[in-house]
Amino acid sequence: MNAADLPRELTAAPPPGATNLLAAVRAVAQGPLAQQAAAIDRQGHYPHAVLKELAALGAMSAHLDAPAGPGDFFLAIQAMAEVSKVCGATGFMMWCQAVCGLYLQQSGNPALMGEVLQRHAAGGGMGGTALSNPMKSYAQIESLLLKATPVEGGYVVNGTLPWVSNLQADHYCGAIAAVIDSAAKDGDTSAPSREVMFLLRCDAPGVELRECPSFSAMEGTGTWALRLKDHFIGAGEIIADPAKPYIARIRAAFVMLQCGMAVGITQGAIDSMWAVEAQLGHVNQFLEDRPDALQAELDALAGRVQVMAQTPFDTSTEFFIDVLDARAHGAELCLRATQSALMHQGARGYLMSSEVQRRVRESHFVAIVTPAIKHLRKEMARLSTQETPA
Amino acid sequence: MTTPDPGATPWQQYICDACGFIYDEALGDPDSGLLPGTRFADIPEDWVCPLCGVTKSDFERYEAPSLDALRERASGCAPAMTSAARHTPGVVIVGAGRAGWQLAEALRARDAALPITLVTACAGDVYDKPLLSVAMARQIAPENLVKETGANAARRLNVRLLPHTHAIRICKETQQLRTTRGTLRYDQLVLAHGAQAALPPALPAALCWRINHLGAYLQLRAALGEAAATGPKDVLIVGAGLIGSELANDLALGGHRITLLDVQGEPLARWHAEQAGAQVLQAWKDLPIRFVGGVKVARVERLGARLRVTTECGQHFATDHVIAATGLQTPSRLAQSAGLAWQNGIAVDPGTLATSDARIHAMGDCITLDGQASRYIEPIARQAQTLAASLCGCAPVPYEARPAVVRVKTTSRPLTLH
Repeated sequence: MNAADLPRELTAAPPPGATNLLAAVRAVAQGPLAQQAAAIDRQGHYPHAVLKELAALGAMSAHLDAPAGPGDFFLAIQAMAEVSKVCGATGFMMWCQAVCGLYLQQSGNPALMGEVLQRHAAGGGMGGTALSNPMKSYAQIESLLLKATPVEGGYVVNGTLPWVSNLQADHYCGAIAAVIDSAAKDGDTSAPSREVMFLLRCDAPGVELRECPSFSAMEGTGTWALRLKDHFIGAGEIIADPAKPYIARIRAAFVMLQCGMAVGITQGAIDSMWAVEAQLGHVNQFLEDRPDALQAELDALAGRVQVMAQTPFDTSTEFFIDVLDARAHGAELCLRATQSALMHQGARGYLMSSEVQRRVRESHFVAIVTPAIKHLRKEMARLSTQETPA
Repeated sequence: MTTPDPGATPWQQYICDACGFIYDEALGDPDSGLLPGTRFADIPEDWVCPLCGVTKSDFERYEAPSLDALRERASGCAPAMTSAARHTPGVVIVGAGRAGWQLAEALRARDAALPITLVTACAGDVYDKPLLSVAMARQIAPENLVKETGANAARRLNVRLLPHTHAIRICKETQQLRTTRGTLRYDQLVLAHGAQAALPPALPAALCWRINHLGAYLQLRAALGEAAATGPKDVLIVGAGLIGSELANDLALGGHRITLLDVQGEPLARWHAEQAGAQVLQAWKDLPIRFVGGVKVARVERLGARLRVTTECGQHFATDHVIAATGLQTPSRLAQSAGLAWQNGIAVDPGTLATSDARIHAMGDCITLDGQASRYIEPIARQAQTLAASLCGCAPVPYEARPAVVRVKTTSRPLTLH
């Protein structure tokens, strides 16, 4: 990013230290967010103001390089964890916003890296990521849903994405479409596939937001189906063309940032076990996955993530396997911890008003959101298999 | 409506025995008409818990406990037996090559009940790797190389076999092995995952065969076809050490045309003093093997349906297949994840084969003794006996490293080298 592109007040203000940022995020999470958590879960309330406040604090842009200094991925993950501890759905939307900022910054496209990125980082613009389908496509799990036909000055894109989160009418998201060139039209499947990645603005012509069915724990995440009909994208929207080398560069960072959700929800679950220890410790001692053991496992995992967060753009296969494994471990730990927290709390955690049962549902989301545990394992197996000429 | 207390004495909290709802005098319960500052004693008797509906008498004084005190107490009463600990995880072995299976056999021979789990990236079938170098000369059909399927061996030895499963990380604090099919606990872990081909940057993995296990060998054989039926193929082998020379010999006997390259001036240059190179070259003079020494491969590229290999000195070779036999290296992923001592391979104690972690041992091609790897067949059975005795708590059977005697299975002229 060029410092000259930035508004003066942004370049002049010193960035808040990591401790300050986390303290400010914690105050928002445990204050206004905690009060809305039930409404987010039960009524599908989209916490727009809280997200804007978090963005303004820098909670979703800590990982982005800025004139004040290089991005700090672990700080972004810790901020996401602070929020996820209180509300997993909001933690997930922080990831959407954070990863969308990553797309813009890594695009190398001046049209996206100047004012658009600045607005995004400050929470003036908000976005999501429509990369669930493409990520599964690259892992050879499903095929691409959006098709881009080259036209004069850009592409025309058609297709439907089933669910994209953190969207509102004036939001946007990073998306990927398969390029339909003349060879593919002629039925020649031997040509290597090419994809284009672009910024998809929800209020642009040819884009329609359609309602989704209700989600467990994630009803308030602004999740919509996106239908594209002859939607034109030009140079101003292109994030990467071709997309593959770009995805290879950002994929580890994309997955790594998700660890914030698992760490936060797990910590919330552990805290809720201690909350009943005084009353119920005499019976809870008979449960497996006690809070002290889970905390040790969580701390070790967070330590691993902290080390990996220093090199988010390492493109080596071994590094990516490490990231995938940490993400899988986070999801598994999250499932175990939230399940155990419910066992620890018993009936009081089972009340619909209790965050303990909500966390169980949030942990299911961590385990199934792309990349799901099964996808992570399949991808690790694929990357661990020796490549042969056959 | 009750009258709020001005708060002269500190606010107290009361907890519902049924649901854990905490009544805080400072906050009151405005939904039930209790203003902030309503003392618990002043709450009408007909008031009920706003969460679960039990009565006031089901509440008791609550003092937020100190987390440190709770931790202290919890650690003092760790469950003697949780369901997870009720069954012992036993021994987990990574790798189902000769080392892994020999250890499974040796363990089972000493202990009929010990749980044994074998994790392997391949199918786990039992076969003799040395036969891969002589299968054509001995006219062993590829499908007959498997002596016993992994599933049958696992049944016979009462071993839990996880085939096509990649071990990703050791979490030594929790004694767990993370794999692509879930996480396994272990009492004792044995790394027997072998070594893999070390591929120089000039040899792209997508274009070069590496014959270090049965799966890759069978794929190569399928790609080569039978020379008698589909015609001979041109095969270029990079590296004329033991494996490269044996494969050259065997594939040539199978009717294929071999070009063998090496940076050294002769094959088997390690055994120059015993004139091994001169002997095999003499033996090969009537076979379709062309040896080109003193060359280093600069690049390999596709050229239509064929491949072109270019050396740094500018020679070109057109070929159907390229096989890299450029040496082996031990994968470091698992050892690194557990922080095991590493010296050109997993460093183990020469007598006990213990790694730097008390619960992890290693054997076979992945270990080094004093920094030296010894990737031969002979030591494996003795290593398995050493480990089985130690893991089953029997009288120690110390391992003794011996100088390897190498039998070169160049069937046109077998050599024994020291």
